[in-house]
Amino acid sequence: MDTSQLVLDTAERMFGDHCDKTLLDRAEQGHFPAALWGIVAENGLPQLATAAGGGTLADAFRLLRVAGRFAVPLPLAEALIANHLMAGTNCGTFDGRVTLGIADSHSAEGGEVNVELATVPWARACERVCYVIGDPLEVILLDVADCDLRTHANIAGEARDAVRFLGVPTRCGAPPAVTVTRVFEWMALSRAALMSGALERVLALSLDYAKTRKQFGRQIGAFQAIQHNLALLAGQVAAALRATDAAIAALDSPRFAVQVAVAKSRVGEAAGSASEIAHQTHGAMGFTHEHQLHHFTRRLLAWRDEYGRESYWQQRIGRQIAQGGADALWDFVVGR
Amino acid sequence: MEGLRFDDIGLPRAAEALRAEVRAFLAEHLPATALPDSDFNHGHDAKFSAALGQRGFIGMTWPKQYGGGERSFFERYVVTEELLAAGAPVSAHWIADRQSGPLLLRYGTDAQRAKYLPAITRGECYFSIGMSEPDSGSDLASVRTSAKAVDGGYVVNGTKVWTTDAHRNHFIIALVRTETVADNRHAGLSQLIIDLHGTGVSVRPIRNLAGDEDFNEVVFTDCFVPAEQVVGKPGNGWEQVTSELSYERSGPERFLSAFRVLVEFVRAVGPTPTDHQAAVIGRLAAHLMTLRQMSISVAGMLQAGTSPAIEAALVKALGNDFEKELPEVVRLAAPHLADDHRFRATLAQTLLHMPSFTLRGGTREILRGVIARGLGLR
Repeated sequence: MDTSQLVLDTAERMFGDHCDKTLLDRAEQGHFPAALWGIVAENGLPQLATAAGGGTLADAFRLLRVAGRFAVPLPLAEALIANHLMAGTNCGTFDGRVTLGIADSHSAEGGEVNVELATVPWARACERVCYVIGDPLEVILLDVADCDLRTHANIAGEARDAVRFLGVPTRCGAPPAVTVTRVFEWMALSRAALMSGALERVLALSLDYAKTRKQFGRQIGAFQAIQHNLALLAGQVAAALRATDAAIAALDSPRFAVQVAVAKSRVGEAAGSASEIAHQTHGAMGFTHEHQLHHFTRRLLAWRDEYGRESYWQQRIGRQIAQGGADALWDFVVGR
Repeated sequence: MEGLRFDDIGLPRAAEALRAEVRAFLAEHLPATALPDSDFNHGHDAKFSAALGQRGFIGMTWPKQYGGGERSFFERYVVTEELLAAGAPVSAHWIADRQSGPLLLRYGTDAQRAKYLPAITRGECYFSIGMSEPDSGSDLASVRTSAKAVDGGYVVNGTKVWTTDAHRNHFIIALVRTETVADNRHAGLSQLIIDLHGTGVSVRPIRNLAGDEDFNEVVFTDCFVPAEQVVGKPGNGWEQVTSELSYERSGPERFLSAFRVLVEFVRAVGPTPTDHQAAVIGRLAAHLMTLRQMSISVAGMLQAGTSPAIEAALVKALGNDFEKELPEVVRLAAPHLADDHRFRATLAQTLLHMPSFTLRGGTREILRGVIARGLGLR
């Protein structure tokens, strides 16, 4: 078994042991699961995609798929990408709690910068906010203690804080050959990977429910109407997994930008229809707060909107195809 | 989870290299048509099929001994998708290449292979599927066409329907009842190779709603079929027909049928689409590219020698829904154009053939049942 598979298996066990409903409920009330972060950090997961961490960027996205299966309420995607970026700069990786933002603009005068970041995952619980701005790309590290912070949460109850900073930050420089667009694409892929994992869980929960819940004297999964809905759900999940894996496999290829657009839009679409079918299957039970289904479906609804909705990425693909013209469409599809 | 595993499989370099060869072939041999159509049922062209055979593009994965190319499923994949994307007329040899040949390779006798396979690979011998009957559609095990054992063979009586190209093809592999077994309707079925132009066979066209006469009713009246025409073991027909399905259900023809409509939409919209038009194109492309990846993944499983029946059903179910949705969404996003505009004409042609997409090769409902079984629900 290779190292990265070992890391994924360890993570799966770790998340399975600790991410229970109580922890998720508390995290969604705004309490950072510090103990869980401690375990995750102890195992080096936030540094996975650095030379010291021993993994690749692809491993990081595979890890996020596992995290999605458990709705892990940590800024794991942000820490993975922030550390990957900082590792290639004079800052180096950050050992503590670090999150990430992408700035549309900032004003810099002398050594000072003035920047606002709208939706930074768990900024309130982190020690540092790493943000990128471009082009050319610059990586900047802020001490959260020096930030104005307004707490906010998305519809899944995930901390998405607004951060304002005016002062002298730590300028890390820039890792070689990365653009701000590329960072945005990585973050979009992080959401596709998280959604893929959540989709796997939503399917598993729905199948489990259909096989145990009885009505009219038999398990509801024996009814053709339910079977067909679940077949549709499985199709959406399978497509989402394939699209995500294809983008991960394309990380180092010139096709990456296209594959991310395909993945984020296709998985986002799957997220909507899969959530709908899962809830329909679970009936009123799945509409309760007590049931765990909503921890996954609400995240799916939130994540599909982060780093570009389906329409954003679809338009990006569509414009590129339209520019190339009708007779080049097939070449676009096969990646020639 | 079983049925959900679509491993990351890229086309090997040798397969990609073939793409240019196929295009060069098409540049030379693709007949000029007003409206190229990516539906694999469209265009029965013996001359084109023979040229393909000559070029080594039929029976590509089969042993050389039988005229095959001993190439990989990936190489075959590239050839088939290039042909469909270009709207080439492939229907003549399609069934023989896709499933009759592989069936004979797996279950046929040496004599049957030697007789049919080389002719198929030359693009000169065409097969039809003989499964459906007037009273047996999705419920295939209910077929009633009977084959009564007589000296030296069987006497066949019954009717097959929806038999595409039976009037132009040479043979049909008919699923017939050779025996009635109490309490097991899957037993007692056999597959026979029957000459469509032989004695006791009459073929009558069935006009479809588009006005085409592509499919037929095939009636067998005391039709004598020699014993050497049985494929595999008598009574093993059910296992054999179901084994064809992984080949039949996962290929690019299950999601490319409406592809030319998208091509013409892109052309009609031009280089500066509206936001909505761009999103429509992008969304369809994202679906198409994902389906293609899934389909290539199944080709990889076939290459590895497994029989991915659930995955194949999943590709077909998703793919058929996609090829039915495509014309609907581009229709609504298209600029106003005259009826004889190339986009409108291509769209019309596909709209008229679309009902068949989710029927042929297993209905949407049957496929969902297969998937549900893979999910452990039945």
